Amino acid sequence: MTSALIFLPLAGALAVAILPLPRRLTEGLALLVTLAECALGAAALIGFDAHGGAQYVENHGWISDFGLNAAVRYHVSMDGLSLFMVLLTAVGIAAAAGAAVRLGRERPRAYFALLLVLEFALVLLFTAQDMVLFYVGWEAMMIPLYVLMGIWGGAGRRAATMQFIVYTLVGSLLMLVAIATLGVTAHTFDLPALVARPHESTWLFLAFAAAFCIKAPLFPLHGWLPSAYRESSPEVTALLSGVISKAGAYGLLRFAVPLFPSTAHDWRWLLLGLALAGLLYGSLIAFRQPDARGVMAYSSLGQMNLIVIGIFAFNVNGSTGAIFQMVNHGVVSVAAFLLIGIVEARTGTDLLASLGGLANGRPMFSTVFLIAALWALAVPGSSVFVSELYILIGAFQQAALLGAAAALGMVLAAMYMLRWYSALAHEDDGERVPHGMTDLRPGELAIAVPLILLLLALTAYPFGVMDRV
Amino acid sequence: MSDIPIPISFSAIAPEIVLLATASVILVVGVFLPGELARRLSAAASVIALGAAAAVSATQFEDTARYAFDHTLRIDAFGQGGRMLIFVSGLLAVCVAFGMRDLRERGVEYHALLLAACAGMSLLAVANSFVTTFVALELFSICLYVLVAIETDDLLSLEGGLKYLIVGSVGAAFLLYGAALAYGATGALEFDRMRAALSHGDPHGVLLMAGIAFVLVGLGFKANAAPFHMWTPDAYEGAPTPVTAFMSAATKAVALVIALRVLVTAFPRQSDVWEIGLAGIIFACFIAGNLGALRQSNVKRLLAYSTVAHSGFLLTAVAAHSALGGRALLYYLTIYAAMNVGAFAIVAMREREIGRPAEIRDFAGWGYRRPFVSIAMVVFMLSLAGFPPTGGFLGKLYIWSAAVANGQTYLAIAGAIATVVGLVYYLRVPFALFDRDAAVPAAARPANFPLDAGVTVVTAVVVLGFGIIPSPLIDLARTASSSLFG
Repeated sequence: MTSALIFLPLAGALAVAILPLPRRLTEGLALLVTLAECALGAAALIGFDAHGGAQYVENHGWISDFGLNAAVRYHVSMDGLSLFMVLLTAVGIAAAAGAAVRLGRERPRAYFALLLVLEFALVLLFTAQDMVLFYVGWEAMMIPLYVLMGIWGGAGRRAATMQFIVYTLVGSLLMLVAIATLGVTAHTFDLPALVARPHESTWLFLAFAAAFCIKAPLFPLHGWLPSAYRESSPEVTALLSGVISKAGAYGLLRFAVPLFPSTAHDWRWLLLGLALAGLLYGSLIAFRQPDARGVMAYSSLGQMNLIVIGIFAFNVNGSTGAIFQMVNHGVVSVAAFLLIGIVEARTGTDLLASLGGLANGRPMFSTVFLIAALWALAVPGSSVFVSELYILIGAFQQAALLGAAAALGMVLAAMYMLRWYSALAHEDDGERVPHGMTDLRPGELAIAVPLILLLLALTAYPFGVMDRV
Repeated sequence: MSDIPIPISFSAIAPEIVLLATASVILVVGVFLPGELARRLSAAASVIALGAAAAVSATQFEDTARYAFDHTLRIDAFGQGGRMLIFVSGLLAVCVAFGMRDLRERGVEYHALLLAACAGMSLLAVANSFVTTFVALELFSICLYVLVAIETDDLLSLEGGLKYLIVGSVGAAFLLYGAALAYGATGALEFDRMRAALSHGDPHGVLLMAGIAFVLVGLGFKANAAPFHMWTPDAYEGAPTPVTAFMSAATKAVALVIALRVLVTAFPRQSDVWEIGLAGIIFACFIAGNLGALRQSNVKRLLAYSTVAHSGFLLTAVAAHSALGGRALLYYLTIYAAMNVGAFAIVAMREREIGRPAEIRDFAGWGYRRPFVSIAMVVFMLSLAGFPPTGGFLGKLYIWSAAVANGQTYLAIAGAIATVVGLVYYLRVPFALFDRDAAVPAAARPANFPLDAGVTVVTAVVVLGFGIIPSPLIDLARTASSSLFG
């Protein structure tokens, strides 16, 4: 099952890239593959035993004797965390592929093949139980991402991509050295075997944490974020914010903390302090952004730092809330960025000053936007509210002051998200809104409505996720 | 000693015999044949000779070592692995050169010199004495000096050849002087006898230390390691591109193979000292190679500086001086040779299309004209930059594992930082290839000879294939490395 989830997108990518199909068929094939991946993921969810630990295990030899008796194995499995990350990936990629079809990307064969390769790498890294295998997924994810950003991005794409590359690779390569060190000293790259014997090493922990915190990103390692989120095409930004940032948080949960529990505990205040600063900083900056993407970008920064607070609260509430928030924020930000993409396609801009009035006679538009905004600001009753509450409880248990300060983040979120929604939807039509702009079309609804339904489902039954992780 | 008969072993030097005999025949026969026929025949003969030499090496690829010619050669799997790498690189260089118009007039000389250079390198790969080392080194160096300057009506080529000749001679002089000093300290020229002579007494005599340092410098020149790399960009840029491809793959391979052999066979007790020396060279390679490459717009110069930076990675494996390091070295050398030959082959294709040295901007939009070759180029660049799933990634991980296992984590960290800087220039090529804003270049007339595309495909398959299924290559590297380390 796990292998099918990993290799279906890769096979799809090869088929899309090689078969000389016309545009419509290429798009159809790519969409079909992404939807099949969603279906596979759903099947895995149904067959998943909530108390069964790691499931769908597959463990084969890959590089038998890498050196010093340490074998590299193709070892993949899914526990609750992996499963929901895989599901988030499947949903995110399917939505992004749908958006790309709507927007009619140039050179569709290359574009969709890269999107599917990205999905392959993400599923691989979310399920890998071998350090080298994980790293392969982690880096392989970057290749399609660079191309998608660097070739299909906006005007400043070259500089944005280069900045993104350098930031992320500094972290990843130090992590690779750390992986080599772990493998050499422990004579294995197998994650369960390594976790069974916890290590204590400050620099190894920091090397792992740096890689993941750059990707998340943790304040102040977010230098790449604003330009990357602004210069990518909307569906890629949606994936960056919704799925790829989660890979960073996933790495912290799966590797950095379990491999070095005591070191991580010793360093928790550094990470908590930075994360708290990031939450407040991101939220404040989001309030001042002139463009819709900027608001969501900095909001994303704040939310990811909130997740880091949950992880380093070192208690069940914090980590459960963090994982649930990863799922929630993933869906919300994919939805939000894809909606911004629709607005950009209609108006050619995302500057809040030139927009407005989307609610005038466009009920679908405003409803969908409002739901996304309300979930993003964690309105009480929403699934995001539940997850943020768990994180805050975890933070309170760690230190009351931390919890109180983090709660400020929720207030700020309400401020910037309401400004965002209001600037987009209220008042008269903005100068760049074309006269008689139509409401959402069926094709756009087909992308937005499933995401909204997913949010409602998560809200109705949050324990569907929280019991399984 | 003079009354002891030297045991002759033809099987030990069978590849060299095949290559040099073929080179002689090509030169003699070439005189009597019309130019184009002579070129084609010499190319065919070279391919056959190199293939035969590689086959002979493959049959002798055993993990038991034996000495030949009274310990001046050590025939072991480590040396045979190096030999095969050289022969295959030579073979690919013949293929890349086949379509080159510029080389047509001098086809016979080109092939004869290439075969002789391969023979010299092959001898160096199994050398076990400083005399053999020097003779073999000069044999291939002289051939390469001429090969670099073979386009005698091209000033760049001449300049590169001259620089390489002068700087290379200085390097050879260093090596010879170092060998003399080491001989003075030990009374032996054979590596294993040197070790025996050094097994007692002060391991850090001044004479010996100076000797080792000079040997390192001499080999550093050949391996284009910084700070002895200043000839590299000019020679690589000036040389005909097939020659550049061959030099970048084979010269580097053999220089590192012999460096590891000398250091671990002759001077294992001095490892504490030369480890530090190597570390200094490695840092210099990372700094000089990366800073140099960042500023280049000519693709060949960029790749030349990249080979300097890569000397740092490869020397990291040498500095680990362990069986693991030897394996890492051979694994990465194979991948390294493949990706460099492939990349230079693509540069050669583009140069032929535009009729002048290729700048990075000459590749702009080319990816939409020649998609498959361009994807291969992307594979090479990603591999040079160390991305999975290419062999370049596993090679780096392998080398860093060896460094960490030897307690040289700082070299691994330096390598990680160098890799990040490397990305900045490696990725300029893929970005140019698939630049959306660039006009797609017109189709070239006449079309390229398909042999280049073949070389590209083969090398790309090696780089990707051994990245995804590395076990066969790792097994070979293990056999080879254990034959050196016992």
